[in-house]
Amino acid sequence: MRKNHKAIFVDTFRCVGCHACETACKAENGIPPGPKWIQVMEVETKVAGEWKIYWKPMACMHCGDPACMRVCPTKAISKREEDGIVLVHKDLCIGCAECFRACPFGAPQLGEDRKMQKCTLCVHRTSKGGVPACVRNCPSEAMYYGDLQELSKLIRKKYSLRSVGRIAAVVNPTLRSNFFFP
Amino acid sequence: MKRTSPGLAVAVNGGTVKADKLMKTICPRNCFDTCGLVAHVKDGRLVKVEGDPDHPITRGHICVKANTYVQRTYHKDRIKYPLLRAGKRGKGEFRRISWDEAFDLLVDKLDFCKKKWGGESLVEYVYSGNREFLAKTISGRLLNLYGSSKLVGSFCILSGLAGATFTTGTQHCQSIEVWSKRAEVIMMVGHNASFTNVHSLPFLWDALERGAYLIVIDSYLTPIATKADLFLQPRPGTDAAMVLAMINHIVAKDLHDKDFIARHTYGFDELMKEASKWTLEKAARVTGVELEKIARAAEIYATYHSHMETGWGHQRYTNGHQTQRAYSCLAGVCGHIGKEGASCNYFDLLAYKGILNFDRVMYPVGAPHKTLRRRLINISTFGPALREAKDPPLKAVISWRGGLISQHPNVHRMTEALKKLELFASVELFMTDDTDWADLVLPAADTFEQWGVHPSYWHPYLQIQKPVIAPLYEAKSDVDFWCELGRRMGYEKFFPREYGGLDWIREFLADDISDETIRNALSSNDPIRAPEKYAPRIPWSDRVFDTPTGKVELYSTGMVERGKKFPGDWHPVPHFKETAESPVSRPDLYRKYPLMLISQHAPYRTHSQWFNIEEIQEIEGPPSIFINEKDAKQRGIEDGERVRVFNDRGEISVAAKLTNRIKPGVCEVNSGIWVKSNGSANVLLEQLVGGPRDVGAGIMEEYDFERDGHTIAYFNCLVQIKKEGQHA
Repeated sequence: MRKNHKAIFVDTFRCVGCHACETACKAENGIPPGPKWIQVMEVETKVAGEWKIYWKPMACMHCGDPACMRVCPTKAISKREEDGIVLVHKDLCIGCAECFRACPFGAPQLGEDRKMQKCTLCVHRTSKGGVPACVRNCPSEAMYYGDLQELSKLIRKKYSLRSVGRIAAVVNPTLRSNFFFP
Repeated sequence: MKRTSPGLAVAVNGGTVKADKLMKTICPRNCFDTCGLVAHVKDGRLVKVEGDPDHPITRGHICVKANTYVQRTYHKDRIKYPLLRAGKRGKGEFRRISWDEAFDLLVDKLDFCKKKWGGESLVEYVYSGNREFLAKTISGRLLNLYGSSKLVGSFCILSGLAGATFTTGTQHCQSIEVWSKRAEVIMMVGHNASFTNVHSLPFLWDALERGAYLIVIDSYLTPIATKADLFLQPRPGTDAAMVLAMINHIVAKDLHDKDFIARHTYGFDELMKEASKWTLEKAARVTGVELEKIARAAEIYATYHSHMETGWGHQRYTNGHQTQRAYSCLAGVCGHIGKEGASCNYFDLLAYKGILNFDRVMYPVGAPHKTLRRRLINISTFGPALREAKDPPLKAVISWRGGLISQHPNVHRMTEALKKLELFASVELFMTDDTDWADLVLPAADTFEQWGVHPSYWHPYLQIQKPVIAPLYEAKSDVDFWCELGRRMGYEKFFPREYGGLDWIREFLADDISDETIRNALSSNDPIRAPEKYAPRIPWSDRVFDTPTGKVELYSTGMVERGKKFPGDWHPVPHFKETAESPVSRPDLYRKYPLMLISQHAPYRTHSQWFNIEEIQEIEGPPSIFINEKDAKQRGIEDGERVRVFNDRGEISVAAKLTNRIKPGVCEVNSGIWVKSNGSANVLLEQLVGGPRDVGAGIMEEYDFERDGHTIAYFNCLVQIKKEGQHA
């Protein structure tokens, strides 16, 4: 990826699997039932003796070196210089699904028209300074959009807040304190 | 505090459409959040629905369902015109008729019923499909004039409300904007906010990032529970045992708030007499929660500035009123009531305490007064009431904004009762479980096609629902339907033809809500906060509790009083009693049906709504049951396999989902699945309701919805699961 390339960051602690990003995407991009440009995946696993569930909304990664683009026989897939968005050009697509087989993330979706389609990072919004519909709508405010520098700063800020703010002191319940509020 | 004002240009279908109108309205579903919406309208057609970014609570975000509003509104299966039954009841065969014919038929039938059995042979069945209050109150005006039986109660929350009300008096919620900034510890009880209250999440996460500690108590590993610092997972319906042990432990550790108890509570000694029976060991044995966790949760909750959000899951049992009582008393013992960032929220009665002038709309001058006796029918026992009402029997039901069949227990007995009716009319958007059994099906107007007033039960903003498009096809708004029916039944002067939605709203809102306030609420300005007197910022900050003693009643004198009048479980200190259908209370059933069935609200539906929307179906998948891996293994059931779930009352056929989010011995089917899809948990449920008052079949003379209770015990059910093809 390049410095100016854009991405979505999902704070998976905040994601609860409400699936609102999926229907927000569909409403925005007019996708009928069938293809899913974004899909929330769920994993149930045991951590330190306790069962936990994790969710991960998965769209197109808009890879730095897109495998789909390399294998496309008709050069229907391209990556934009200015923001790194990977787009499928419908009129060139022949629906051979080579991109589908190459993509490690399951991003390409076959439409009713037998052509490939996938997340455009809402290029019609983002190229005008907006954010993708899924990010704009996330009720849990778990999704963020920006370039990697911006996202990195955000993640660091969240992490530092969390690691400093946690009530480790709760292990000592004799302490009735208001220590968050000086 | 405007964030971003959405412009007229809106992205639709990946392109940009220039809407010619942008109108603010609200989502009127039965949901904590009641989002502010921005409707984009072009050429009279709704093209897009977005969240209103200026709404201080919902902040421009909408849920998985609301994003499909355009598809739902213009869905091909919308009922387009009135329909008359053409085949046998339950077959779903109809022919088209005109509204004139439909009204004539209604009027004839209602006249017939009134002459033959009296007005009280009619009852409306109305609930929260569209939860706004205006049309419901106008229907009340007509039914009062006609003299029908009066529907009261709820099947959703009232057991818990009784428990909370007997402890701290009138219930209001401290807004999440306030408590999330101050609470050190947040305790979530029976509240899957991640599915039913998603707009609370950003506030909650901000609190956790700031350092707050999250305790979750739930029988189901909800998404919120997986984020918790401490998660307690009791056997369904046993919370009260655990909470009494917590109280006992807190007092033993000297962590209770002695000053608050002395000054603001009543009956501490009596409470302790009951609580002291509950050691941690005993509670751990009954609830299945690890002893250390109960102790730790109690110590942390008592020690810090702790806020409790009690949802409604824990009170959907026959002992739900006592369970909520126990939680409210726990807050009292720790002094966590009425403080900024430390209170005990259950339900906000904003809609019921003065901001809406129900009486002015329902009992206009010249109509029978409200003191005139009308027989009451309790909605939580609607099935038994239909079967058992005599003098007069119930013969006509007009059902609207509700799922009479999909939402009530023991479905097969309900449909039997419906067969005996003279008239069953259903006002609906789609051909649901109900319409199949109806004689007359009438096309309802959708959310975006009508006026309404919808005070939230969770946040303090004034919500006015505004029509943004005309009713589609031959649909009629609910206000228009009831007014027209009223006029045709001969009550013209009470339903003036020139009265529009706004006129009714003016009449409905309290006088101190000015015209300017209403105008502002309807404009593109920020939403209007309800006045402090209707929605206090910090409820009980003055430590005035409108209980009989004026204090937090750990010993409820209110229950003692009410108990002198009516039968029921009026035990004045919270106590634990096994639910009516549990492995302990019904060992006979448990031998045959060794799994406890609970049903949570999924994010995909509001009750039974959205079940038929394809954009939602493709996310949720086919109706299914969560079964613990161990239970599945014992039965040789693989993930995704079709299974039969059954007991003496019925059987459903669903896909098995193997999981560990419920403990062994428990299984879960999402609520709201339609009966005709053969996956509705309600088919398996017994007709059981939580207390405190025992109303039998729910045919009553007097009812106090804040204190008498009644939540359908949706989670009190024993079942067995077998692979499809294997027989019992």
